[in-house]
Amino acid sequence: MSRPGDYRLVNGTVIDHLPVGSAARAMDLLGLPREGPVTVGINVPSPSQGRKDIVRVEGLFLEKHELDRLALLGPSITVSIVRGGKVASKTVLDVPQRLVDMIPCRNPTCITNAEPVVTVFVREGERPYRFRCAYCERIARVAKT
Amino acid sequence: MSADQHAAQAFHGRSVVSAADFTKAEVLALLEAARQFDRFDPGGPAWGGLAPTLSGRVLGTLFFEPSTRTRLSFESAMLRLGGSVLGFADARISSLSKGESLVDTIQVVEGYCDAIVLRHPSEGAARLAAETARIPVINGGDGSNQHPTQTFLDLYTIREAAGRLDGLKVGFMGDLRYGRTVHSLTEALLHFDVELKFIGPENLRLPRDLRDHLRRHGRSGLEVENLQDAGDLDVLYMTRIQKERFPDPMDYERIRNAYRVDRAALAPFGPDLKVLHPLPRVNEVAPDVDSLPGALYFRQTRNGVTVRMALLHLLLGGALPLEGGA
Ligand SMILES: [Zn+2]
Repeated sequence: MSRPGDYRLVNGTVIDHLPVGSAARAMDLLGLPREGPVTVGINVPSPSQGRKDIVRVEGLFLEKHELDRLALLGPSITVSIVRGGKVASKTVLDVPQRLVDMIPCRNPTCITNAEPVVTVFVREGERPYRFRCAYCERIARVAKT
Repeated sequence: MSADQHAAQAFHGRSVVSAADFTKAEVLALLEAARQFDRFDPGGPAWGGLAPTLSGRVLGTLFFEPSTRTRLSFESAMLRLGGSVLGFADARISSLSKGESLVDTIQVVEGYCDAIVLRHPSEGAARLAAETARIPVINGGDGSNQHPTQTFLDLYTIREAAGRLDGLKVGFMGDLRYGRTVHSLTEALLHFDVELKFIGPENLRLPRDLRDHLRRHGRSGLEVENLQDAGDLDVLYMTRIQKERFPDPMDYERIRNAYRVDRAALAPFGPDLKVLHPLPRVNEVAPDVDSLPGALYFRQTRNGVTVRMALLHLLLGGALPLEGGA
C-alpha cells in the first residue's frame, strides 16, 4: 500500500537494523541526502531488535570505506542493495580490523594530533570492540560496536 | 636455531619502538646477546678486549626533550663499540627541529647516520619516525607511552640477579597509574611465569586498560595499598610518585612518605629481595638500602649500557658470538 509521499526504492541501498537514534548519524557519515530521495524510519518495530532505525537511499551504492564507517554505529547493521525494485544482495556489516583515516585520536599529546599523519586504529578483543591507536597505543573507545 | 642466530636475525635493521613488538624468543635472544657484552665490564678482566664492532658507524641521538641519563647511556654504548654519535640534547636549542615536522627532521637526519635514538614528548613519535626512516629507529621514550630499552634492561637485571625470570614473585610499588616503566615491564613479564603484585595508593592504581589486559591473560595479580600486605616477594620494583599527580600538597607529602622503603621496611622480605628503581629517585628508596646486596638500581644503569650495546650491535648487523675478551 503506497500513500502519497511514500517513495519506493528502485535502485539503491537499504541500511537496516541501525540502533535507534543512529539514523541521523548514519546520514551524516554518508553525507546524505546526495542526489536521490532518502526515506528514514526512526524507532521502527523490529522482531529481532525491538526497535530500530532504517535508511533507504535511491541511487546510492556504498564504497568499502563508507561501509566501514557505518559498521561502527552498531553491532548488526545490514546493508541491502536493491536493483529493479528487488533486493539483489544483503550483508551484515562486520566491524573492520583496522580503522584507517576514519577517526581522530582523542589523546591530545598523540603524535597524530601534531603531525600530518593518517590515523590508524587496530581492533582488539571481542564485542564491544575496542580500538587502539597504532601510534600512542591508547584505547579509543569507539562505542556501540 | 641458536639464541645467537635468532638474535642476529630478529634484530638486524629493525626499529625498536615498543617492547611488546618482540616475541619471548626475541627478548631472550637479546638478553643472551647482552650477556656476551657484559664480559667487557669496565675495570673487569676482559676490559679493553672488546672489538670495535661499530667502528665507522654513526648513531644520531635526537632528544626533543631532555633526558640526560638515557642519552648518555646510548652514547656510552655506541662509543664503547667504536662508533660515533651526533645529535641534539634538547629541541629548544636545536635549530634543526624548529618549526620543522618530525617526519622532515627524520628524513634529514637519516642521511647523517646509521641508526637513530629518538626521545620525544608526543606519544607515538617513535612509531611514526620508524615508519618514515629507512634506518633503525630506537625509541628512547615517547611521552608517557613506551621506553623499550628500559624494559629490556630491567628484565636483564632481574634475570642476572635472580638467575631466572620464571617462578619469581615481582612487586611494583608507587605510581602504578602513570609509571610508564611499570606498564611495559608488566607487559613483558607476561611472557614468563611470574606472579605479579601491585602496591600503591588508591588514586594511582593500574590503568583500566592494563588491568583488563592482565585479566585477559588470566594474570590479574594482587593489588594492595600496603607493602606489608603483599606477601612474599623476590623482586620489588620501586617508582617515583610525582608531585603533579596531587592537587593537594598535603596529600602528596602523606602518600610519598607512605610509599617509601628503608632497610627496616624491607627486612621482612629476607636478604634475597632484589630492589629495582628506574632512577632518578627522590626519597622513595632510603639511602640505607643502597648497601644491601639486593639493591640493584645502580646495577640497572650499568646494565643499561650493556643491553644498549647488544642492541646497537645487532641492529647494525653485528655477528654473534662476540670475539675477544676472556
Ligand atoms: Zn593516538
